[in-house]
Amino acid sequence: MAEREELISAFSAQARLLGAEVYRASSPGEARALVKEIIESTGVRRVALASSPLLASLDLIPVIEAAGAELVKGSLREQAETAEMGITAFELAVAETGTLVHDATELDTRLFSMLPLVHLALVPVRGLVANLEEALNYWLTRGEIPGYLAFVSGPSRTADIERVLTVGVHGPGRLLIVLLGEEEVCSHE
Amino acid sequence: MNELREKVKKALANRRVSWALTHFADNYVIAREKAYAGKDFATLRQKVAQIKEETIARLEELAEQFTREATRRGAVVYRAASAEEARAYIADLARAKGIETVVKSKSMATEELHLNRYLQQQGLEVVETDLGEWIIQLSGQRPSHLVMPAIHLSRQEVAEIFREKLGVEVEPDIGRMVKLARRELRKKFLGAWMGISGANLAVAETGTLVILTNEGNARLTTTLPPVHVVVVGLEKLVPRLVDIVPVLEVLPRSATAQILTSYVTLITGSVPAVDPEGNYLPQKELHIILLDNGRTRMAADPVFREALKCIRCAACLNVCPVYQQLGGTFGAVYTGGIGVILTAFFTGFEEAAQLQELCLGCQRCREYCSANIDLPGLIEELRRRVVAKKGVGPAARVALAGILPRRRLFHTFLRTAARLQAPWVKEGKLCRLPFFPELTEGRALPPLSLVPFRDRTARLPRPQSPRGKVLFFSGCLIDYVFPRIGEAVDRVLAAMGWELVHPKGQGCCGFPVWQAGLPGTFARLAQQNLAALAEIEAEAVITACPTCTVALKYLYPEVLKGDAKWAELARVLAEKVTDFSSFVWERREEILPILAPIRERITYHDSCHLKYTLRADRAPRELLLAGGAELKEMAPPELCCGFGGSFTLKFPELSRAILKRKLQAIEGSGAETVALDCPGCLWQIGSVFSGKAKHTAEILAESLKYPLAL
Ligand code: SF4
Ligand code: SF4
Repeated sequence: MAEREELISAFSAQARLLGAEVYRASSPGEARALVKEIIESTGVRRVALASSPLLASLDLIPVIEAAGAELVKGSLREQAETAEMGITAFELAVAETGTLVHDATELDTRLFSMLPLVHLALVPVRGLVANLEEALNYWLTRGEIPGYLAFVSGPSRTADIERVLTVGVHGPGRLLIVLLGEEEVCSHE
Repeated sequence: MNELREKVKKALANRRVSWALTHFADNYVIAREKAYAGKDFATLRQKVAQIKEETIARLEELAEQFTREATRRGAVVYRAASAEEARAYIADLARAKGIETVVKSKSMATEELHLNRYLQQQGLEVVETDLGEWIIQLSGQRPSHLVMPAIHLSRQEVAEIFREKLGVEVEPDIGRMVKLARRELRKKFLGAWMGISGANLAVAETGTLVILTNEGNARLTTTLPPVHVVVVGLEKLVPRLVDIVPVLEVLPRSATAQILTSYVTLITGSVPAVDPEGNYLPQKELHIILLDNGRTRMAADPVFREALKCIRCAACLNVCPVYQQLGGTFGAVYTGGIGVILTAFFTGFEEAAQLQELCLGCQRCREYCSANIDLPGLIEELRRRVVAKKGVGPAARVALAGILPRRRLFHTFLRTAARLQAPWVKEGKLCRLPFFPELTEGRALPPLSLVPFRDRTARLPRPQSPRGKVLFFSGCLIDYVFPRIGEAVDRVLAAMGWELVHPKGQGCCGFPVWQAGLPGTFARLAQQNLAALAEIEAEAVITACPTCTVALKYLYPEVLKGDAKWAELARVLAEKVTDFSSFVWERREEILPILAPIRERITYHDSCHLKYTLRADRAPRELLLAGGAELKEMAPPELCCGFGGSFTLKFPELSRAILKRKLQAIEGSGAETVALDCPGCLWQIGSVFSGKAKHTAEILAESLKYPLAL
């Protein structure tokens, strides 16, 4: 447990260094309250929610509505294009590099993490690993590597004009991460 | 040759490029150091090198395994032998599918194919989506850097390009321009039917492609269009998935001083997509083009196969003094030192044959290479091959092959020149030479000495009862231009109790000949010098020129290894060769007691060969410090002075531009004296520095409490 705490604080520090905002929730109730608060404070109106067991278990649709936002509609592309915020789940968080990792083979997960300007990422703390090698081994030991495995470290950034760092060039300009504590761990698969 | 010099002059005229590159480079070195905190770069790059060596040794086998695995996961793999084949494949695919719009994420392999031009000729709309690449594409230029293609443009220039090419008014505000780019490019992404990307790695074990980006454009390129084409060079293969870890650890750190890029994407086979019309495709089309285009030929080359280890981090560009001045002019599709080598195999030997001239051999890139490639060594080898194929120019042939190896002739020539130069010597400085006006412009070079060192040795002090005998290999510059350094070396060693002998049969160490790509002539010079030095039994062979030291210590054994007798002689000599400062520092108890405090504020200039090849840059500093000097390191500490031997004759303007930067660093240190251990650097730096420039031997000699009488 102490080790996990160390990983959590290392991850949080590194992710913040990269410009991500990191929050923690120790129960599903807390997580829902946090998501509501985040939606309210970012002021987004249109939210795209990916399908995943973790997200489903948190039952976020009423939360999004309670926060005064609405779930985007239409084809996946339309949803992704119109959403101001995408909510997706991640399996792993790499402490050393402040990186989130998820299987993004499913199109909604992929599009909702890539297109909207704000990305809300939820990851269970039991998904914390020390380094990239552990992250890869996690996938290797589970059989076939997923079709689209994405490693995300901070928001989308560029320094192509005069080496000045600017975020949100093609992907999200804001990355908000919620670490979900142990107890609530839901019927995850 | 002159054409190249003209290109160089043109590039130098654009100060914006060198300003941007040098500023970036200075910050880069510091930021990179930080990014590597807690990591051992030497071990990491060794790992990378090992993985890539395995790749090169098993190239075909891995290509087959990759093809099998990726195909099993739903990809179509095409092995393209040449650029033409790769281009045709993509164009045919687009035609067959009726595709008209293509988005691309940055890929050097497609630059190598000149793919955009080709596809545009076929009537396709091709849009680069990496911000820098897009700007470059809009402006119709060529990327100037492997990682940062638009580093040479200012925000005002970018705004101007947007105004002109997009017809939108935008303030030269970076945040706003980035937003504009997001908006414009998003439209392109959403409307494109084909996405083309490169890949940083291709994993044979799993058929996985690995792509690193910061902007996220590769994620959109590989996700939105229903057809994805990847162009990946064969050398990007690695055997196992875990092999990507060391590369992921090194590449971002070395490229942009990041711990990791914002996005690392692992694509294995085909995944779902929705096309621009909203149709869901459970399996989009993934075409992987494994590109050869000279790579197998390179892998079969016993020397140049090493260059296939390159992971394109561009560290070698960032630290290269020539690249910093010239940007993309030092290279072709691929730029910098590595660009020269890749050009030779991928795009054109002729072009590379010209470009290699621009490397001044400072060795700095080797220190930083993420894959532990001996880039300067490869460039030297390329130069040898160029010379073997085309010969050296007529002037160089006379000087390097005709005069230099004939010691007597060469020395007579130097003595004559020393007399003839009189009209151009003012107050001990050479002013405006008739044949090389560029060389003397705005600076005062030291003239040839009327009395060379070899004629002064009879009058040098000798210890009464010597501890032993050491030989002095002076080299041409000390012998004929800076005999005062030889005298200082002698005074210090004599005071320490050593008898210094200067064997008269010695001549030029041969480095210029080696550098020019004439190993045969170099071997002859090596034999002459070995013979001269072997005549006298001595404790050590001392040099006060790091270039001579490198020649004697490393190059002689190398070039003579085919001949048992000479090889043995070279080996024995190599063990005895040591640079002056290291010899003295090892025997510091013999000198420190007889040294009066050095009361100077000194900054130390690292000579490339001393620092990067001999790794002897600590000894002179320790000596100066122990002697009481106040040592002020300059920032940045390790910059080449731009001498590079014949480089300064071939590209005087470039050499001076590099020197100027060095001078700024020296002056910035606030020191009154710059100390160094290389007569070449002294020649260069002394000609412009208004303070004192001295060899470490001179500083020590001046501080001796009891100098032996002459
Ligand atoms: S040796 Fe020096 S000049 Fe040559 S490529 Fe390397 S860094 Fe550049
Ligand atoms: S040669 Fe070395 S330093 Fe240069 S790009 Fe390749 S790996 Fe990086």
